[in-house]
Amino acid sequence: MFKDFFLAELRHALKQPMLYIFLSLMALMVFGATASDNIVIGGAVGNVFKNAPHVITQFTVIMTIFGLLMATAYFNNAALKDHNNQFNEILFSTPLSKSGYFFGRFFAALLLATIPMLGVFLGVFLGSVLGPAFQWVDADRFGPFYLETFVNNYFLFILPNMFFAGAIVFALANKWKSTVISFVGALVIIIGYIVAGTLMSDIDNETLGALTDTFGIRAYDLSSKYYTPFEKNTLSPAFTGILLLNRLIWIGVGALILALSYFTFSFQEKNKKVKAEKDEKREKQTLRATPAVQAIYGAGSTWAQFKSFFYTNFLSISKSVTFKVLFLFSVIILLANLAGGFEYYGLQSYPLTYKMIDVITSASNIFVIIILVFFSGELVWRDRDSKINEVVDATPHASAISLSAKVLSLIMLTSLLNIFFIFCAVIYQLIMGYTRIELDVYLLDFFLTMFPLYITWSGVMIMVQVLVNNKYIGYFVSILVIFLWSLVMLALDLQTNMLAIGSGPSIMYSDMNGFGAGVEGRLWFNFYWFLFSLICIMLAAVLWSRGTASAFKERLVHANKKMSGVAKAFTLALVLAFASVAGFLYYNTQVLNPYKTSDQLEELGAEFEKKYKKYEGAAMPKVKDVKYNIEVFPEERSVYVKAEVWLKNETDVTIDSLHLNYDKNWHPKFEMPTASLLSDDEEMGWRMYKLSPAMKPGDSLLAHIETSYVPKGFENEVSNTSVIGNGTFLNNFQILPSLGYDPGSELSDKNTRKKYGLPPKDRMPELKANCGRACEINYLTNGRADFVMVETVISTSGDQIAISPGTLIKEWQENGRNYFHYKLDHPSQNFYSFISARFEVARKKWNGVDLEVYYDAKHATNVEMMLAAMERSLAYYTEHFGPYYHKQCRIIEFPRYASFAQAFPGTMPYSEAIGFVTNLEDEEGNNIIDAVIAHEMAHQWWAHQVVGANMQGGTMMSESFAEYSSLMTMKKMNDDPMKMREFQKYNHDRYLMGRSQEVEKEVPLYKVENQPHIHYGKGSLILYALQDYIGEAKVNLAMKNYLDEYKHVGPPYSSSLDFLRYLEPLVPDTLKYLINDWFKEITLYDNRVKEASYKKLDNGKYELTMKVESVKMRADTMGNETKFPMNDWVDIGVLDSDEKKLIYQKRVKIDQPEMSFTFSLDTIPAKAAIDPRRLLIDRVYDDNVKVVSAE
Amino acid sequence: MNKLIIQNLSKTYPNGVKALDNVSIEIENGMFGLLGPNGAGKSSLMRTLATLQEADSGTATLNEIDIFSQPHELRKVLGYLPQEFGVYPKITAEQLLDHIAILKGITKSSERKELVAYLLEKVNLYNDRKKSVKGFSGGMKQRVGIAQALIGSPRLIIVDEPTAGLDPGERNRFYNLLADVGKDVIVILSTHIVDDVRELCTKMAIMNGGKLVFHGAPQTAIDELDGKVYQKVVEREELEQYAANYSVISNKMVGGKPFIHVYSESDPQNGFESVKPNLEDVFFSKINTSNLLV
Repeated sequence: MFKDFFLAELRHALKQPMLYIFLSLMALMVFGATASDNIVIGGAVGNVFKNAPHVITQFTVIMTIFGLLMATAYFNNAALKDHNNQFNEILFSTPLSKSGYFFGRFFAALLLATIPMLGVFLGVFLGSVLGPAFQWVDADRFGPFYLETFVNNYFLFILPNMFFAGAIVFALANKWKSTVISFVGALVIIIGYIVAGTLMSDIDNETLGALTDTFGIRAYDLSSKYYTPFEKNTLSPAFTGILLLNRLIWIGVGALILALSYFTFSFQEKNKKVKAEKDEKREKQTLRATPAVQAIYGAGSTWAQFKSFFYTNFLSISKSVTFKVLFLFSVIILLANLAGGFEYYGLQSYPLTYKMIDVITSASNIFVIIILVFFSGELVWRDRDSKINEVVDATPHASAISLSAKVLSLIMLTSLLNIFFIFCAVIYQLIMGYTRIELDVYLLDFFLTMFPLYITWSGVMIMVQVLVNNKYIGYFVSILVIFLWSLVMLALDLQTNMLAIGSGPSIMYSDMNGFGAGVEGRLWFNFYWFLFSLICIMLAAVLWSRGTASAFKERLVHANKKMSGVAKAFTLALVLAFASVAGFLYYNTQVLNPYKTSDQLEELGAEFEKKYKKYEGAAMPKVKDVKYNIEVFPEERSVYVKAEVWLKNETDVTIDSLHLNYDKNWHPKFEMPTASLLSDDEEMGWRMYKLSPAMKPGDSLLAHIETSYVPKGFENEVSNTSVIGNGTFLNNFQILPSLGYDPGSELSDKNTRKKYGLPPKDRMPELKANCGRACEINYLTNGRADFVMVETVISTSGDQIAISPGTLIKEWQENGRNYFHYKLDHPSQNFYSFISARFEVARKKWNGVDLEVYYDAKHATNVEMMLAAMERSLAYYTEHFGPYYHKQCRIIEFPRYASFAQAFPGTMPYSEAIGFVTNLEDEEGNNIIDAVIAHEMAHQWWAHQVVGANMQGGTMMSESFAEYSSLMTMKKMNDDPMKMREFQKYNHDRYLMGRSQEVEKEVPLYKVENQPHIHYGKGSLILYALQDYIGEAKVNLAMKNYLDEYKHVGPPYSSSLDFLRYLEPLVPDTLKYLINDWFKEITLYDNRVKEASYKKLDNGKYELTMKVESVKMRADTMGNETKFPMNDWVDIGVLDSDEKKLIYQKRVKIDQPEMSFTFSLDTIPAKAAIDPRRLLIDRVYDDNVKVVSAE
Repeated sequence: MNKLIIQNLSKTYPNGVKALDNVSIEIENGMFGLLGPNGAGKSSLMRTLATLQEADSGTATLNEIDIFSQPHELRKVLGYLPQEFGVYPKITAEQLLDHIAILKGITKSSERKELVAYLLEKVNLYNDRKKSVKGFSGGMKQRVGIAQALIGSPRLIIVDEPTAGLDPGERNRFYNLLADVGKDVIVILSTHIVDDVRELCTKMAIMNGGKLVFHGAPQTAIDELDGKVYQKVVEREELEQYAANYSVISNKMVGGKPFIHVYSESDPQNGFESVKPNLEDVFFSKINTSNLLV
C-alpha cells in the first residue's frame, strides 16, 4: 500500500511541469552565481574557488530557504489533493491502509521536495564547466569537486530541512485543510529562523543560536567560522560536532510532529459545523413607505464610491486571519530585533530614533513584501472569489475608482504596520528609560522613504494582478518583479534610481545633519514614483477585465472604448507630467551630475593604471609648508579653498614636469609662474605641467591652488557626504589635488586585475632590511610629503565652529560669518582634517595641554568620560613613550555617514555613531569608548611621531602599537585579568574571522600588509601576550627606544625590523622563541584540558590534578596548518565557576603533547584551565576550560 | 414607457460556441420571461444587456441609451441579479446594501439609510440586517440579491434564475415583489421553470442554441397549440418506435411508464387522447424540433 501511494504520487509529479520549473529556477540562480561575478549568493572571494565545498554548502543552505516554499507546495498538495478534488469521500470509503496512505504520500512529497534543490548542484556543475569554457570566469577560479560535498549536503541540509518543514506543513494541511494555513506555517518556520538569529547575534550565545536554527545554517556557520581559504577549498560539511547535534535535534522534532499528526489523522470527516437555519420571524407587511431617493452622479458620488470601496476592501483584509497572523509575526520579529539591543563590543547604544528606524525598516521589509504580493492578489480577485463581481461590475462606477481604492487599501495596510512599529519602537525607548522621543523624525522618515515606496509598489502590484489576470501566476510575476528586477539591473550594471521601482537617493538620518542632502532629490523621486503608480492604476483600469473574464487581446481591443473623455484627458495629463518629471530627474541625475557605476569605476581604474602607471617613478617635488584659506558655506553645501603650497625638489635629479591627480568635482586651478599646462585628461583627472625653468635639486617653488566644491541640482545618490549642512568633514587629500601617480589607488583584487589584463600586484612592497629607496616613502603620504607645517584661515556660517589642525591663534566675525586662524605648533604628517558644525565645546586642561571635545548638543552624555579618557591616555603615554608635541588635543564629532574615529595631528574626529551614543551609565566592565579614544590618542605617538615605511609590516608600528597602548591604559585602570580576557575575546574573533575571509594571503604580524584583522586583531593579541610574558616595562622600553631613534625623522622611514632590533635584546633567552612564533610566523595553538579532578588533602587543602593536551601549529599563507612540536611556556590555572575570577595561575613548560599537573589549593576548585587568560591564539577556546570533578 | 430594442445581436465565444445568434427583440414595461434549456444563451443575453459582456455584432438600446457605447449610462438605470450571487465575507446585509447603494449613486446618507431599511423590510431581512451575509442560507442570500437589484430607480431589471434555491413561500414573496416593481419598468426574468413564466409574465421569449425560437404572449403560444397536443401512456420498449413515428414533444414517467405528449395537426388515433396544451408543451415543442426524446 505504501509503495502504491508512493509511486503513484511520484509518477504524477514527474509528469508535472512544476517540478522542472523549480529545478531549473534553482539551477539558474546558482549557475548565475557560479558563472558570473555579478550575481552573489554567499560568496567566493580571493583564493576561495567558485566551486569550493564551502561555497557549494553556502549555496545549499541559503537555497533551502527558498526550497522551503517549493516544498510547502508539494506537502500541502500531498495532504490536500483528495480533499480539494472532493475525492476524499470516495477514496476514504475504500478499505485502504492509513499508514500506507499517510506515509506513502508524505515520503513521496519529501523526495519530490528535495528534487528542486538538486538544481543547486546542477547549477554549480554547469557553471563550473561553462563559466571557464565561455571565458566568463577564469578557469583557475575553479577547483576540484568532491563527491562527499554533494552527498553530505544532501543528507545534512536538503533532506533534513525538507523533512522538518514537510512534517510541519503536512501536519498543518491535514489538520486545517487550508492552503493558506500551510503557507503561513512555512512562513512561521522562516520567521522562527530569523528570530533565533537576531536573538543570538552576540558571540556569547552563538552556540545556542547554532542549535536553535532549524535550517542548520548557523550551526554550519559556527563550525566553519574560522575556516581558512585552504579549508574552504577542501572541507565538506561533516557529520560531527554542533552541526550533527543540530541536525539530530530537528530531525527528532520533525519526526515527533509527524507521529503526532499520524495518530490524530483520520479518514472520517469531522462533523462540519452546520448552522441551524434560524426561525424567520414572520413580520407583517412592510410599514415603510417607498422612500424617495435620488441617484446623483458627479464628483460627490465618485468620492463616496471611492470611500465605500476603500472601506469594504480595507475592512475585509484587516479583519482577515491571514493579515492578523502576519501582523503578529511582524511584531514578534520586531521585538526579537529590539531584544538584542544595539551591541558594540559588549556595550549597548542608547536606543536612538534613527537606530529604531533602521530596525523598523529591516523588520518590516519582508512583511511589506508579503502583504503587497499576497493582498494585491486578494484584492483584485476579491469580487470574483466572492462571486459578487457581476453585481459590482454592473453598477455605474469607474474602474479606476475601484482600483484606486484597492491600491489605497494596500498602502494603508502597509502603513498601518509601519505606524504600529513606530508605536512599538517608542514604547521600547520609554521602557529603556530613553526619553528623547523624536516623533517628528519617525514620521518624516516614514513619509520620505517608506510611504512613497508603499504607494509605488501598491500601484505596481495591482497592475500586475490585473494584467496577468490569474491570481497565482500573478503572485509569481509579482515576486519575479520584486526580486528578478533588481538582479537584472545588477546584471546590466544599471544604478539609476529612475529604474529601481520606488527608490530614490538614500536618506540616512543623523542627529547632527538631520535627513541630509538627499532630501530634495528624494522628494522629486517620490513625486516621480507617485505619478508612476497613478499611471499603473490607469493602465490597470483600462485593461481591467470588467464583467465576464476575457482574453488579453480582447481587453486591449475594448480598452479604448472603455475610457471616458475625462479619463483620457487625465491619463494624458498624467503621462505628460510623468514624462516631464522623468526628464527633470534625468537632467539632474545624469546630465548635471553624471555618475559612474561600480563596473565603470573599475574599468576607469584599470584604464588609468594602463595609461599613467608609466609615471609612477617620475620624480616629483615634495609638499613642504601649506597655507590654507578655506571658506565653508554649510547652507549651500559649498566649500572654496585657496592654498599656498611650498614645493621642494628633494630628489637628486632635475624635475621638468609636474603631474597632478585630481577630482574634477573640485575644479582645481593651479598657478605657478614657471608651470605651463601640457595636457589635461578630465575624464581621469590627470594633468601635466611643464616647468621652465626646471626645478633643480634643492629648488623650492610656491604654488597657488584653488579648488571649490559647489553642488548642482540633485544627484542619483548623494556622492559627497563630506560637505553638508551640519558636520562638514574634509581632509587635505579631498580638497587638494595630489602630486604624481599613486599606486595605492590601483585595483587590488587579483581576479579583477586579471579581468582587465593587468598583472598581479603585490599588496605592499616586500619587507627588507636596508631597504634604500623603498624606505623613502611612508605609508601615509605616498612619498609626496614628510613632516610639514600647516597654517589655516577657515570661515564658516555664524552658527558653526570650524576646526583645523594646530593652535587657534585668532577668532573673529565678519559679515555674519565666523573666522578662525589655526597654526600647527610642530611639524606633522601631511594628513589632517577640516571640520565645521554647530558644536558645543567641553574643555579641560592637563599639564598645559588643552583637552577639548566638540560635540553635538544632543550628545553631551559621555563627554566628561571622554575628557577623562584623554587625560588617562596622555598620562600613560607621556610617562612611558615620551612627550606630546601639540598644545591641544581635540575630539570632534562628525555625522554618522561614516562610523570610525581617526587620528590627525592633535585632532581626533569621532563618528556620532560610536562613543557619543553608547550607554556607559552603569558600565563597570571594559569600555570600548575609552579604548577607542586611547587608541586614537596613541596615534599621536604611533603614526604621527614615528611612521613606518611603505612596506610590509608598516602598520604594525602604528595600528598594533596604538592597540597595545590602549590595552595598557585599560589594564592600568581596571587591573582585572578576566575583564581583559573578556575584551580580548573580540580581538580573537576579529583576527580569526578576518583570516578566514582573507582574499590574498595571510602574512605574519611583522609583515602585515595593512590588513585590519592582523594589525588590530592579531597585533592586540600578540603584544598583550608579549607584555604578559616578558613584562610591560620591557615592551614599553623597546617601543620607547625605537621611538626615540625615529621620532619625527624621515626619510628614510623605519620598518618592523627596526623595532624588532630593539625588542630582541629585551626578551630573555628562554622566551626568544616567541619573537619567531608570534611576529615572524603564523602560529596557532590547540590547547585543551582533558581531565580535571580534585581530592581533599589531610591538611585541609585540595589537590587538583589536570591533564592537558597541547599542540602548536604553523599556518602557511593559504591557511594550511602543520603541527609543530611544543616546547613552550603556557599558563595553567583555576577559575571560579562563572569564570569571573582567576583563583590560581602558574606558568609551566609544555614539552609533551599530553601532560599532567598537580597542585594544591585552599578552596575547592571549580574550573581548571589551560591558558586561563586566553593569551594564545586558539581557534577553539571552549575546551581550554573544564569543570573540575571530585575524585 | 421604457423600451428595450435588441437588434441582430450575435456572440461567439473563443471556443466556437455560438451563444447568441442574430437575436432581435423589443421589450416594453412589464415582466418579460426568458425561457430556455441550459446553455440556450439566456445568461449570455442577460450579461450582454447588463454591460458585462460585449457582443460581436448587433445593437441594443434602452430608450435613448446605447448599451454598448454608453455602458456607464445604462448602469445608472440597471438593476441586476446574476445567476450566481455571492457576498463578501465579514460584512453585514446592511453594509453590503449600503455599499451597493453608494455605487448606484445614492450619495445622501440619510436617503440611503432609509432606502436600505425599506428594502430589507421588503425582502423580509430587516431583523437580520446586522448579521454577516456569509452565514445566510441560500434563500436569504438570494433575497439580499433581490434587494440590491432594486436599489436606486432602475428602469431595467435583469434577474437571472432568481428562484433557484428558494422555497415555495419565498418564491411567492419574491414574485409579488417583482410584479410590484415591474409595473413601471422592464423586468427580464430568465428561468427554465415554465411555471414561473406562466404565473408572472405577460410577454415571453424562448431561446434555444443561441436563437430566439419564439416570442410573444404566453397565452398566444398556448392558443396556437390548441387541439394539436395528444397524450398516451406507452410501454418502455415501444418508446423508440413512437419517437420514430410521431413528433414527440415530451415524455415523463407516470407510475413507472413513459407518458408522452405528441404534436399532431390531426388526431393520431392509436389510443392517443387529446389534451389541453399548457406552457410546458409550448416550451418543449419549440425547443424540441428535431423530435428527439428529451
